[in-house]
Amino acid sequence: MSVLSLIAFSLVIALMGSVLFSVFSRGLPAISLSFITQNNTYISPTTELDYGGVGHALLGTLMVVAIGMIISVPLGIASAIYITDMKGRLSGFVRFMVQAMSGVPSIVAGLFILAAFILTDVSGFSALTGGLAYSILMLPTVARTAEEVLKLVPKDLRDAAIALGSSRARVIMKIVLPTARTGILTAVILGVARVIGETAPLLLTTSNTNGTNLNPFVDAVSTIPVYIFQFLSSGYPTAINRSWGAAFVLMTTVAILFAIARIVERSTKKG
Amino acid sequence: MNETKTAALEEEMMNMKNVRVPSSPQDVHPNKPGDANVHLETQNLHVWFGKRLILEKVNLAFPENSVTALIGPSGCGKSTFIRVLNRMHEFIPGAALAGRVLYDGQDMYDASVDPVNIRTKVGMVFQKPNPFPTMSIKDNVLSGLKLAQMKYENPEEIVRTCLERASLWNEVKDRLDASASSLSGGQQQRLCIARSLAVSPKVLLMDEPCSALDPGSTRRIEETIREISSDMTVVIVTHNMAQAQRVSDYTAFFLSEDGAPAQVVENAKTEEIFKKPKDSRTNDYVNGLFG
Repeated sequence: MSVLSLIAFSLVIALMGSVLFSVFSRGLPAISLSFITQNNTYISPTTELDYGGVGHALLGTLMVVAIGMIISVPLGIASAIYITDMKGRLSGFVRFMVQAMSGVPSIVAGLFILAAFILTDVSGFSALTGGLAYSILMLPTVARTAEEVLKLVPKDLRDAAIALGSSRARVIMKIVLPTARTGILTAVILGVARVIGETAPLLLTTSNTNGTNLNPFVDAVSTIPVYIFQFLSSGYPTAINRSWGAAFVLMTTVAILFAIARIVERSTKKG
Repeated sequence: MNETKTAALEEEMMNMKNVRVPSSPQDVHPNKPGDANVHLETQNLHVWFGKRLILEKVNLAFPENSVTALIGPSGCGKSTFIRVLNRMHEFIPGAALAGRVLYDGQDMYDASVDPVNIRTKVGMVFQKPNPFPTMSIKDNVLSGLKLAQMKYENPEEIVRTCLERASLWNEVKDRLDASASSLSGGQQQRLCIARSLAVSPKVLLMDEPCSALDPGSTRRIEETIREISSDMTVVIVTHNMAQAQRVSDYTAFFLSEDGAPAQVVENAKTEEIFKKPKDSRTNDYVNGLFG
């Protein structure tokens, strides 16, 4: 048994190591200050790596993920509270729907937003529509993880607060959520991790552009996954190097975001 | 001026005393002679979980500023009973009750009564110490005031008096901002008592508060119980016969025989229950023949 688990463990480590190694070894040569700060204006698939970069796509990804978080985190936590603490009449139904939603293929989420907002001319391609598509994918992850961590808050603490004359709303706001804070943060991180590399929904909802677009409500915006897809599909060696570089930037961004989240979490705990 | 006021007050208190005489005196233990009133009482109380009757016909009155111990074998509904007394009972799915629970003469299960209000008057200390782990010692003491949205002044003074009454002040006065989870189990339980005292309840319910603690901590909590009962009514569930004798003025013996709903077999002054019980089952239980 221990031999089997050792083999399984080594396999996982080897796979992870291989992914990390290839992204590092192939992505790192493309990285320079200009690659991170410049955008893709006047850049063709054959342009040397000294010119142009993923700056516009990095900002776009951050915008789309932020919009996805703004929508899905409150909704996800609220539905987790509904299932665990309010125990409303529909809580079984809500849990079922959340589970069903986690099976939605990402391209279907993109198609839904495309059909509901873009083809109906409610909105054009924008970071907002991308964020909406992301939020559909993030919501089940956030809600299910939040549900699990809220369940871990001891019933004793809820009882104690109720016995002190607290309303149920205040029990949740002042006791349950602060106690589950670390777990809630994990739920948010997992939600972000779920979507940050998703390409298909963005192809249908944000489209792509070469310039920097900082307006989240109007016009197409570039994102790192779509940038990777754009250059990888062109087939030229320098373009493929750009894609590896962009993949490296994406992974580093995720690592930095998670590290910041943990540091913020730790410093607020002491205060 | 003052004298007439006092006289009027005394007269009013006399009248109130008359109003609050329990309806079925044969089941109710005697009030303390002289100064004690009945703050909290149950009349013909029945409790169900789903279709199962748990408690049957409980008539108990808790004289003001006294300690009442509830004893009886495990699973006979003592904890259920005290959860009824501050309306924590209704959080259990399928829980129902009949009869009346009077607080200050009013039925606390009346539709016009806000349960949140009742719980600030009837506090509770639980079996397992449960301080709020995310809060400091000081914030734990003040948490009830904040959660119940009560107005208060001079938080330092409140923290100090409550911790002193719970005999915890000397141990924690230099680290009030430390996390509550840094305390030992006994200290945590005393912190929970201090937290309950901060909202100045009239009644404090304690559900086996010492069952998870060492003898030293138990002794200190028993001292605290004696101390707070000078101006507070205490109801304590305990499995420890010696403890019931040490801390309580009155004792009620609950028993559920052969799966039948639990009833109060006997309730009287603690001395009587332990020295010369009227019911042979009480005698057997307090002398350790079963339970």
